[in-house]
Amino acid sequence: MKTISALGLILTLSGASACGSAVLPPELASARSVYDRAAAGPAASLNPTDLHTAKESLDAANKSFADDGASQKTRDLGYVALRSAETAESHARALQVKTEMEQVVANMHATTATQGKQSAEQLAVANKQLASKDQALLAQGVALQGEVALRQDAEKRAAQASADLAKFASVKQESRGMVITLSGSVLFTSGRSELLPAAQLKLNEVAKALTEQDPESLMVVEGHTDSQGKADFNQKLSQDRAQSVRDYLVSRGIAGDRITAAGFGPSRTVGDNATAEGRANNRRVEIVVKPKV
Amino acid sequence: MLKPVLWACAAAALASGCAPSWPEPKQPMVEAEAAARSARELGADAQPAAKLQVTLADEQIAAAKARIAKGDNERATYLLVRARADAELALALAHEQTALNDKQKAVEQSSTTLEANTPKATP
Repeated sequence: MKTISALGLILTLSGASACGSAVLPPELASARSVYDRAAAGPAASLNPTDLHTAKESLDAANKSFADDGASQKTRDLGYVALRSAETAESHARALQVKTEMEQVVANMHATTATQGKQSAEQLAVANKQLASKDQALLAQGVALQGEVALRQDAEKRAAQASADLAKFASVKQESRGMVITLSGSVLFTSGRSELLPAAQLKLNEVAKALTEQDPESLMVVEGHTDSQGKADFNQKLSQDRAQSVRDYLVSRGIAGDRITAAGFGPSRTVGDNATAEGRANNRRVEIVVKPKV
Repeated sequence: MLKPVLWACAAAALASGCAPSWPEPKQPMVEAEAAARSARELGADAQPAAKLQVTLADEQIAAAKARIAKGDNERATYLLVRARADAELALALAHEQTALNDKQKAVEQSSTTLEANTPKATP
């Protein structure tokens, strides 16, 4: 029995001697741990070649441990296997970071492209609006030119009409407007308010001139007399004469709502009633063309 | 270029065969030194973890040279295999740091670009 036990001890000791210490060296223990971690991590999919190299190193260290136990060689190979697994992990992390960086750049490009597209669209809308405004301005300019031409033409005709009018009537520009003064003796027989035939010809010219003037202006036909005779008579006579002239002008195309008649009798003199010339000047009809407000 | 572990195994096989002694590890020396140099060139000295690995590689290369001088080629071979593994880890860590730096730059550039292109609200 003792012999068997001693033999067993000898065999055990000799086995231990052959294999070195059976205690797992720290290098190999770390290598196994790190390799397992690497194999479970991104290295398995991102860089299997590195992981395979680490596995070969670990296999060599494990074999050495199986053959020689915790020898220096096993420790060296364990050390190499540990570094190999750490290298595989580092490579995997670098690849991961690179992928993340590419994603950041791709996102940036996608976003800037979207922003660029939006800016281009906004620019196109703005350009379209500008073009539309340009067209409107152009049309406005053309219309304005037409309007100016029409106005110039009207002004030319009005000037011509005024010149024609000045041949038989006095035309003055006063604060109350343009005043066309027609002598009473030219228009009416003394004491009456019916227009003379010759007066009608002159009023035709007046109507023509007034039509050529601003078609929107308002007019007042004012009748005036001298101071001879009764005031009531003169007042009525001046009113009737103004009305006659007003009605005739309306019959010649002046809009009725633009022209009114008013009699002032002898109240607004322009000449001396003591003289024949002064009285003649006071007997008159004035057409006041009021400036458009 | 043989893998570090294969170098050790090949040398061991030679030593256990008919060769009279363990061969001088000239090729492992060249490869370990080249790996350490590459790691430095890629900025391993500027990154603490990588710098540590390069220092370890340097120390083990120096130790291997001392062993070779004493004729202990076997130990020198394993030291060089360890040195090369350290240098390769340093290289990987330097690459990783470069990738991190590049990503950080990309993030900053992206923020700047997106901020510059975002329309400002008019008061």
